[in-house]
Amino acid sequence: MPETDDELMQRFQKGDADAFNCIVRRHQKPLINFIARFTGDRDNAEDLAQDTFIRIFKAANRYKPGRAQFKTWMYFIARNLCKNEIRNRGRRDRYRVDNVITNAQTSNGNEDQIDLIATAPADASFQPEVAIERKELRRATQNAIAELPEKYRFPLILRDIQGFSYEEISKILELPNGTTKSRINRARLMLKDKLKPFMELL
Amino acid sequence: MNCLQTKGYFSAHLEDTLDNQTLKQFESHIAECASCQKEYDRFQASVKATQQLPEIEPSPDFVPLLWQRISDERTKIIPLWQRLSDLFNIPKWAIGGVLILVLACAGTLFYYDDIFNTEPQPDNRINLTDNISTEKNINTTSDQIRSNIIDQFFPQSFPRNIGGSDMFDTNSNQPMQQQYILKRVSYTTPTLAGGL
Ligand SMILES: [Zn+2]
Repeated sequence: MPETDDELMQRFQKGDADAFNCIVRRHQKPLINFIARFTGDRDNAEDLAQDTFIRIFKAANRYKPGRAQFKTWMYFIARNLCKNEIRNRGRRDRYRVDNVITNAQTSNGNEDQIDLIATAPADASFQPEVAIERKELRRATQNAIAELPEKYRFPLILRDIQGFSYEEISKILELPNGTTKSRINRARLMLKDKLKPFMELL
Repeated sequence: MNCLQTKGYFSAHLEDTLDNQTLKQFESHIAECASCQKEYDRFQASVKATQQLPEIEPSPDFVPLLWQRISDERTKIIPLWQRLSDLFNIPKWAIGGVLILVLACAGTLFYYDDIFNTEPQPDNRINLTDNISTEKNINTTSDQIRSNIIDQFFPQSFPRNIGGSDMFDTNSNQPMQQQYILKRVSYTTPTLAGGL
């Protein structure tokens, strides 16, 4: 049976760096996905994920196993770093988000956007038209998520991409359970409206 | 149940968390309202589209680069208040206050250490060679207290050999604090001794 995050953190607290390496290898992929979906930027997502792990590394001896779930703590840190990143980007980012849809429709979007949708799983019954439509839908979905206001984007990604429970999301976002639920429903309704033009593809 | 209320229950219905009474009201509205029916279909489709977004694979150098960055961070000189502010996520002014308090305590410790130290002080004119070494293992009580303070503020989880090949040595189970050797200022400095 694999070691739990708490067991690994306890080993790391005793000085076993290999345990921290295990933590990183276990969580790198979901964390990068979370950040990339939130910021809409794949390359920067790896930097921010590393920042998150560095924060964990530095604060490891303050981690109390059993008190909070490791994952909740990790995403809490990542979420704060994402917020800082967005704040620091300022106007430049807002301009970029405004242009995401335009770029997507001219199929000449920036590299990061392409990267985020291009890693589709291989399909045995390959049909070019269907593949293009799916790619379009993925691109539109990613862009629609990136356009959501932060307070709706965070819970939506945590729920529908990361698969967290409402309780876990409430802890990460420091929100009452009811607020989390209504924000996720609101986020999905907004996404549905944004994806309306693509719904015929489904 | 009206259309607006129905939309408010889309997620709850999709995730099957509605109570029996609400469920009946929801389904009877959906059955007779073509608009809500269509909206709910689109809602489900867009949730599915989000859930089916392809996963991003981390680049192969993600982990090595992370260790490199941790290693760089170790050698970077970060002001103590910045370090504490980052670590405890508290404002810098609060750190300032705590820092003054800690320094006062540490100062007091050093002061008493000198007063109550009954060991004869080394004579730098006669005993030169015995005091050249500047590194000394922890053995006195006050040293222990000081090291405890240091341990509190500098995570013991910082291995000395970050980035080195020992990093991934699974056989190394030695607690990290044992790898620290506290630098202790000698009463006799080698340069002064050499001059005499
Ligand atoms: Zn209706």
